[in-house]
Amino acid sequence: MDFRLTEEQVARRKEIYKVCEELEKKKPKSYVGFESQFHNQEGWDFHRLCAREFAKRGWLALGWPKEYGGTGTMMDKVLLAEARGYYDLPGSDIFGVSMLAPTLLAAGSEEIKREFLPKIASAEIMFCELWSEPNAGSDLAGMTSTAVRKGDEFIVNGQKTWNTGAHFADWGFGVYKSDPNAKKHHNLTFILNNMKDKGVTVRGIPYMNGSHVYNEVYLDDVHMSAKYIVGQENEGWAVVNVLAGFERSNMDMVYGLVKAQEELVNFCNETKRHGKPLSQDPLIRNKLAEFACSIEAVRTLAYRVADQQNRNEMGLMDAASVKVFASELLEKFGQIATDLLGPHGQVKHSKWSKLNGAAEYNYQACFVPIVSMGTNEIQRNIIAWYGLGLPRMK
Amino acid sequence: MDLRYSEQQEILKKSARDFLTKECPKAKVRELENDAKGYDPALWQKMGELGWLGFNIPEDYEGMGYSFEDLTMHIEEVGKNILPGPYISTVVNTYAIVEAGTDEQKKDLLPKISNGNCILTLAWLEENGLFDASGVTLKATQKGGDYILNGSKWFVDCAHVAHNMIVVARTKDGSGEDGITLFLVDAKAAGIKTEVIPTIALDHLCEVVFKDVAVPAKNVLGKVDKGWAILQMLVRKGSILKSAESFGGLQAVFEMTVAYAKERVQYDRPIGAFQALQHKMSDMWIALGTSKFLLYEAAWKESEGESSAKEASMTKAYINEAYKLITALGVKLHGGIGTSSDHDVPLYYRRAKAADTVYGSTDYHRELVAQQIGLK
Repeated sequence: MDFRLTEEQVARRKEIYKVCEELEKKKPKSYVGFESQFHNQEGWDFHRLCAREFAKRGWLALGWPKEYGGTGTMMDKVLLAEARGYYDLPGSDIFGVSMLAPTLLAAGSEEIKREFLPKIASAEIMFCELWSEPNAGSDLAGMTSTAVRKGDEFIVNGQKTWNTGAHFADWGFGVYKSDPNAKKHHNLTFILNNMKDKGVTVRGIPYMNGSHVYNEVYLDDVHMSAKYIVGQENEGWAVVNVLAGFERSNMDMVYGLVKAQEELVNFCNETKRHGKPLSQDPLIRNKLAEFACSIEAVRTLAYRVADQQNRNEMGLMDAASVKVFASELLEKFGQIATDLLGPHGQVKHSKWSKLNGAAEYNYQACFVPIVSMGTNEIQRNIIAWYGLGLPRMK
Repeated sequence: MDLRYSEQQEILKKSARDFLTKECPKAKVRELENDAKGYDPALWQKMGELGWLGFNIPEDYEGMGYSFEDLTMHIEEVGKNILPGPYISTVVNTYAIVEAGTDEQKKDLLPKISNGNCILTLAWLEENGLFDASGVTLKATQKGGDYILNGSKWFVDCAHVAHNMIVVARTKDGSGEDGITLFLVDAKAAGIKTEVIPTIALDHLCEVVFKDVAVPAKNVLGKVDKGWAILQMLVRKGSILKSAESFGGLQAVFEMTVAYAKERVQYDRPIGAFQALQHKMSDMWIALGTSKFLLYEAAWKESEGESSAKEASMTKAYINEAYKLITALGVKLHGGIGTSSDHDVPLYYRRAKAADTVYGSTDYHRELVAQQIGLK
């Protein structure tokens, strides 16, 4: 075992942290957590600002092959996620940079790679995902929206939902039923489209805290060009699986927890009750220590995933563990923090809020990572079926 | 960064696995639980011959001189199989002699330990059950060239068969860390009375009563009144190694449970096809995965000589709970058969409880973690 970063990586980490620390100073006051990038124009502008700063340094193309503008290594990508998590910064398009780019590299045509990879790397365009439908959530294969081939185009009709950030995104990537007669898993096509295309209507679905993160997207006779197919026509299911396979180390979520823990510790050291700091309450000490142990446990496993990915191994089952465990720790943070604050735990980010409103915010926002990118229950299925070899549900 | 086993570690793990599968099947584990000695002297000799007892003893003292990290990997396999007796105690407590002993003490004891002729145990806890310095009340009073020990120690692993004990005693009035001294004591010395306490893992923890036991001053381990720091070193290393043993155990139960769920048919299908059970097994996998690299990080840091106090305490606190969680789920997923004393899962379930107070309980280590993360 060797948990040490190389000298080069240590230097890179320092550089990345420095850039992120500077960017943090430009964070708008209303920006409280990861989803804030989608909440309002101010959040989105900050996302684009950070993205441009990262793009300038080649940090949105980390680990890509050199011929497509790639810089650095997979481990550098992990280090950037770590720093972004710690400083709670956006700037790396979860759909374009984290999901689509590696998918294009693995399954895209040369033309599509040449057209989109530079735009993703330069932060020129941001993507959203058009997958789920009202009746096809976890069971994606049950979708009903259609793409009918007409010469060099597809005419797309249907409704997509839970589309994070679709109200700001420039482009979308989606899957549609393209062959009504073909067998399941051979009837879908994966296509990219401009969100300004005629017939695309985006409507917000307010999150439980009232904020704008999710959308539903209506597609009415949208003309999508066949040159924007990823993979083969009618073989979009295979592309979906490639994309789902590009699991992230989730290092940003893990380092968000590291920061949350530091802030809780500071809060308890500084806040007195009955004339004594909260930090001297044995129950609070026990609870925060338990939280810290769990964070360190998932941090080490996330590094294991990063180490595997750096060797071009997938480590999917460990990645699923990190996703489940870290997101449920975020839920726990929301509970611990709101409990600790007592009546202040309910206060939204404002001049009245303690801990910058992070307690109230995470008590609700924790469900975004829990239910997205394959709900945690689906992740548990994946672990059971593919990791443990237990019989698959029919 | 490279979070893979070294080739040597793969070999060490495999040889431990092969040896114990053959020499210590579960029938023997059960037999030793009810055996007066609680360990198998013939097996102990073989372990000595294989170098298991001198793993962490420098070659100058007839040991193997392996790294702490390698020892961790080895102990993981030991825990996976279960090896009754004072093996972990002997190996962990050997560090006190290696790191704090005089050359004479090392020459006297280390080769004997390494060759299988000396079982070493730690007499630390008392009836008060406290892990902090205030728990140490056994008195050692200087008289001529000797110290006279009076008091009693509880939960001393296999004291009834030990040759030597490291006794944690108070040489100065007070209840703080200063004034605590460690003594190397002949376990058969006059005035020592040992009784085995019936415990959950039937692992032969003893009550040891010291009545006017004379220990020569040359048997002080380290400096007089300054023994607490050595004990903390043992707690740190012991926490990691005991966690390695537990981590091995939780892996064994996880594997047994998944295998059983694939085999056992009810309602015309293997019970592992039911999601209610699948998700519990996925949770076991997650607990296993998060335990694994926490343990390895602590072991690696300790091995590299870096400060590992925080990681050691985190590991012990975390794996204590993971072991109990996984073994409890293991029992439940096996159903009726999982509650039988003939079944292997309860062997681990009982050991998970026994392991959790060795070298400090979850709550004790969480308090150490609380200090380490900056809570004032």
